[in-house]
This record gives sequence, structure tokens and C-alpha cells, in this order.
Amino acid sequence: MTPRSLDIAEPELGATGTLERLVGARPTESSPESDSAPLRLGGLRKRWRKDLPLVLDGLDLTLERGTTTWVGGRNGVGKTTMLRVAAGLIDADSGCVEVWGIAPGENRVRYQQLVSFLPAGDRGLYARLTVRRQLEFCARIAMVPRARFGETVEHAIATFDLSELAERRVDRMSMGQRQRLRIAMTFLPSPEVVLLDEPLTSLDSEGMVLIQAAVAEVLARGGAVLWCSPSGEHLEMSFDAHWMLERGKLVAV
Amino acid sequence: MSDTLAAGHAFLAVMRRDLHVYLSYRTRLVSQVLTALFSLTLFYYVSRLVHVSGFDSHSAYFGFVVVGISLISVLYSSFSIPELVRQELIAGTFDRLLLSPFGAIRGVIAMSLFPMLFSFVLATVTLTLGCVIFGLRLHWSTVPVAVPVMFLVVLSFLPFGILFASLTVVVKQGSVGTAWVIALLSIVGGLYFPVSLLPSWLQTAAKLQPFTAATDLLRHLLVGSSLGESPQTSLLKLVGFAAVLLPGSILLLARAIRLGQRRGTIIEY
Repeated sequence: MTPRSLDIAEPELGATGTLERLVGARPTESSPESDSAPLRLGGLRKRWRKDLPLVLDGLDLTLERGTTTWVGGRNGVGKTTMLRVAAGLIDADSGCVEVWGIAPGENRVRYQQLVSFLPAGDRGLYARLTVRRQLEFCARIAMVPRARFGETVEHAIATFDLSELAERRVDRMSMGQRQRLRIAMTFLPSPEVVLLDEPLTSLDSEGMVLIQAAVAEVLARGGAVLWCSPSGEHLEMSFDAHWMLERGKLVAV
Repeated sequence: MSDTLAAGHAFLAVMRRDLHVYLSYRTRLVSQVLTALFSLTLFYYVSRLVHVSGFDSHSAYFGFVVVGISLISVLYSSFSIPELVRQELIAGTFDRLLLSPFGAIRGVIAMSLFPMLFSFVLATVTLTLGCVIFGLRLHWSTVPVAVPVMFLVVLSFLPFGILFASLTVVVKQGSVGTAWVIALLSIVGGLYFPVSLLPSWLQTAAKLQPFTAATDLLRHLLVGSSLGESPQTSLLKLVGFAAVLLPGSILLLARAIRLGQRRGTIIEY
């Protein structure tokens, strides 16, 4: 872990060519061959309100390539906030977030191509769409190239054993089946860094095996996985690093 | 080039998604067509009942109001965008767009396409019902010109939806003020009566938004009503509104999203 105290870059809206940058920024190819880490969080600070304590207080975390990391901690300690900051969903008040050396404010499109986030809970699905349409939509907004589109969707269906459910609408599926679909959508664009927030919610043992296989694929291509859960629910999964989040900082377990 | 192509596919995917969701509610189309039919029936008999000053015949007023009714579907569609954004926020699917390479800004623009294009279809259905059932006489020689003008109208109305969508991202309410804005635009836009009947200060307001220019121009092209100004002037107004307001509304949306990300309120709904 390397402490960092750089401010997160924020795009200036008044700059020349701003609109083009906002609506159609072109990704610059950045492959994970450099000496940078898959994910680096440095000196993250986040306070939700002035009268509340810091939820992240100088948090540092570096994921090495080909590794899985588990972060635990009691409810409300800040695990989800950390993941949301890492995913680029919300900003920290200060600190550094980088995926393969790229900050979200620096090249948003490329950043989002490299990172995938599974939020906790059961949200993020279109209730009236079938599984296949949901995955196709997911592949399209992930801007998967046309040549790989069909193969990508079919791979997700096969990897997460969704063949029998492919034509079923989401609002007619069980919670566990929905969770399997949410996980399939997370892994679908072949991300380099996968952030999982309580992925085992409603999932059966079969689903657990499917996640393990998907995680192994990410690790095989040199990526990294960050898994957050309160504790003890992931006994079948082995991790390369274990941390507990306490008072805004990570403590080795 | 491949990124542009992928973005184009993503735009189409959002439209396809909205079409599938729309079609999954089987009675919605029937309900919307019936609503148009009831409105036409109501105004058909109102046009027979009363004499409206400034119109030569009952049919002339009916033709005037049918174009207004057709256009209000476009207005409603543009103001449905904030509610669509709110639904995405509630369902957690807005986060998915925001965290995708396609992005939330392009996502919001894309999610406005289906309702806007569908309103175009609904306007066509309304005009067709007016012709077939109520004997509305269209000015066929200029009807083909009305099609590209309608697309321009859609573009000039779109910024209002995006502006209110930006507000929704910040305040988390989809219908803040939209009902009264639609009502106000119906009045100053001359939906049911000519704006010349309005007090002079309201006539000034009629010139400050694209709705009046759109209704005047489309009435001229579809039913041959006279224009208060040249068609070129009305066209320039629509182009001007679209050219100024569209980039402005997109920038505001971008600012609203960034504000939500900075404050962390983007995750709230």
C-alpha cells in the first residue's frame, strides 16, 4: 500500500471542446502492460456531511495483478463508499483513484472500459426486459466491438448458466436468478478490475461456483478482483489479501 | 471510427430497449390512440358548436386545433425525459449508464429518442384519424415538407426535456414544474387558439419559445393556414432555438451529473 495525497482531477466544463469531450470522449488505448497496478486508491478521504466523521480517512489500497482482495467490516463502515469511489461513481473529497494508472477524470471512457462494479442489492435491472435483451443492452453500452458482440453475450449466458432463463423477463425471475444475471452483466465486458459488493446476496452454491470461474478468468488475464462483504460468507473463496475497514482505514487481517 | 460506430449502436440499443419495454405493456398503444381519438371527437364538436373569430369556417378551426393536438404529443414527450431519468435513478439503472463507457450524458440523450420519435408517430396517427374519421383536409402539396420540419421541431423541444432532466438529477423529482410549463406553453404556443387573441405581453412570451413557431409553421404546411411571418423566419427561429438550447442543456446536464458525483448524491433517488 502506498499512501498518496493527490487531488482527484475533475474535468473543467468551460474548456474548449468541452461538449465533445463530455458526450463523445475517445478512449486512448491503454493496456495493462505498464508498471502501474490494476487498481490504486491513495489517501482517500470522504465525509458525507460536515457534522459526521470521515467515512474514508486517508484510505490506501493497491490491488496487484492477478490477485483477489477481500475487504470486510461492520455495516455502514464505508465499504460501499470505497467501492463507489473506486468505480468512478462518486468522488472522494481528496485522494487518488487509478486503474492501470488512469484516473476517472482523466479518461472516463477508458476507465469505465477497464472497471466493472457490482453494487450491493438487487437494483440495476430492467424488469420488463428478458435476460438476453438485458445482456445485449449491457454489451452495447459497454461499447463492445461489433465483431465480438454476439460472442460476448453468448459467453456471458454460458458462463453464468443462463441458457434456460435467456428468454425470461427479469420481473418473472427469483432473487437468486436476478443476482446471477447482475453478476453476468458485471463480468460481461471482460473488465480488468472487478469490484464486487456483497455478491453472494440471494445466491445458491451453484452461483458461487460460477462466480469463482468468472473471477478465475479475470485473474488469468492479469486483472484483479476486490470483494467486499461484512464477513464470513465467502468461505469457499480464497483471497490473496484480507483487510478490515475500520474508522476509515484498512487494517490487515 | 469503431468507437463512433459502437456509440451509434449504443444509441440504437437504448431505443430498442425502450421499444421493448413499451411493447411489453400491451394496452398502452391502444390507450394512446383512443386518447387522441377522444380529443379529436371533442374538438370536432366544439368546432361545430362555436364560431371562433378569425376562422372562415368550422373546418378551418378544426384543422387549426388538430395540428395543435398532434404537436402536444411532442411537447409531452420532451417533458417525459425527466420522469424517465427519475425511473432510472430509482431502478439503479442510471448508475449502470453512468459507469458504462457510453456514459450517462449520451444515455440521457439516447433515452429521449424513443419517446420523441414515438410522439412523431402519434402525431401522424392523430392527423390520419382526423382525415379518415372527421374529414380533415390536409394540404397535400406541402405535407412532405412537414416531415423534416417535424424533426426540427423535435430537436428544438428536446432541450427543455434535457434541462428538466438535469434538474431531476439534482433534486430527484421528475415532475418539478413540468405540468405548469406544459400548460403555459399550450397557452402561449397557440395550441387551441391563435396567439393574436392573447394580451400583448403574453404575445411577447409567445415569441420567446419554439412552440409558437413550430405550430404556426406546421399548420401552414399541413392545413394551409396563413403565417404571421415568412416560413424562413419560423424555420430560422426553430434552428436558432435548437442550436442554442441543445448544447446549453447538454452542458447543464453534464454539470448536474458532476455535481451529483462530487456531492455523492448521484446515488440517491
